[in-house]
Amino acid sequence: MEKDRTILIVDDQEINRVILAEGFRDNYNIIEAENGSQAVEVIDSGRKISAVLLDLIMPEMDGISVLRHMNKTGSISRIPVFIVTAATEKDSRELLMTAYDLGAVDVISKPFFMNFLKCRIGNVVELYRHREDLEALVEEKVNRLEIINKSMVEALANIIEFRDCESGEHVKRISGLTKILMTEVTRMYPEYYLSKEEIDKIATASILHDVGKIAIPDNILNKPGRLTKEEFEIMKLHTVKGCEILANIPNLIDEDIYNYSYDICRHHHERWDGRGYPDGIKGDEISIWAQAVAIVDVYDALISPRVYKAAYEHEVAVNMIYNGECGTFNPKVLEAFNNAIGKSEKKSF
Amino acid sequence: MALIEELESLGVDTQEALQRFSGNSALYERMVGKFPPAAADLKVLEFFEKGDYETALSNAHTLKGVTGNLSLTPLYNAYTEIVALLRANDPEKAKSILLEIIPVQADIISCIERNK
Repeated sequence: MEKDRTILIVDDQEINRVILAEGFRDNYNIIEAENGSQAVEVIDSGRKISAVLLDLIMPEMDGISVLRHMNKTGSISRIPVFIVTAATEKDSRELLMTAYDLGAVDVISKPFFMNFLKCRIGNVVELYRHREDLEALVEEKVNRLEIINKSMVEALANIIEFRDCESGEHVKRISGLTKILMTEVTRMYPEYYLSKEEIDKIATASILHDVGKIAIPDNILNKPGRLTKEEFEIMKLHTVKGCEILANIPNLIDEDIYNYSYDICRHHHERWDGRGYPDGIKGDEISIWAQAVAIVDVYDALISPRVYKAAYEHEVAVNMIYNGECGTFNPKVLEAFNNAIGKSEKKSF
Repeated sequence: MALIEELESLGVDTQEALQRFSGNSALYERMVGKFPPAAADLKVLEFFEKGDYETALSNAHTLKGVTGNLSLTPLYNAYTEIVALLRANDPEKAKSILLEIIPVQADIISCIERNK
């Protein structure tokens, strides 16, 4: 039967290797190395090693050098190393201390008693295996949590779509366009740099930008025509209402996504010149992500048919934004928008 | 006389050794057979005479490990002492112990060679 655990035995004396190999053969695959350089080759080969039994004094490359190498490559944290040596605590305190300092888990003195040795090594191998299993489990759970997070966000956004006569694809396009635009902004302007992971969170968060519309009465939200001044004032409240809704579910979504969503909900109708709403903040008082969602939201509204208007062509929409017909935007974001979205053929984002 | 019994009469702790070899006496005999060339290879006395105590120490250390694992007890005790004395910077005393043990080692080696 193929065994799933492998022990690497490193000793320049065949006699010592054979005793160890014989003792472990029943439960482990055995690899033997005659010196440090052969050992390092095996360790670096990527082959899964459950434990290394390492002699200290060897020609070519000694045990301490093997430990140093494993510290450099990081393999010391994955593979338990046992020092197997004729040196004793009494006569070689410094040497053994160096080995411990370099991450050796235990020192086994020659001559050894195989039964003790099997227990000591077996226990540590199981411990490392257990830790590895736990790490894999945690990673799996974190991934699962991220998926659930995204689904929660999408579920929330879908609820608004049911009430809103806007295209059901609207929020998905906003998310896709936000990602494209933020990536371009980041590429063009180091002052606005954000990592890919952050941009992904922003793209997810942007899905919730209109969540506050759920609090807007039907007769205003779905009015087939232009809104009166009073009706528009109520419509504007969807920004702050969105924040209120999010504030009631703070633990439902990831903290970072929550923070981005909150900011985007509140500020995706602000304008660069301070003439937006609800707070009338201007310039870079508005976060770069809220600026990005603002511009793609306008673009998406223009290219979509509404009860009171037909859809504009892509080029027309881009020109209207670029010429300031839909409010003033950050010139840098406008440039990035033109590069990443404006110049491209109209795509189904 | 069989090898194992003969070794025992020379002070080798064969019982302990066999335990170490999981009771596999054929394997033990085979590994004991590798001791004479290893001892010849390591030439501890030669390095003593050259005054190269560093190599003498390293090689005596190796023999300490091997004789320990083979339970060649008299040799193991001697090499343990030699290593300790060299580490304590007393090569004279170390050498005298080496000279004492060389005939014992020769007996063990010839016993091994005879039984091959």
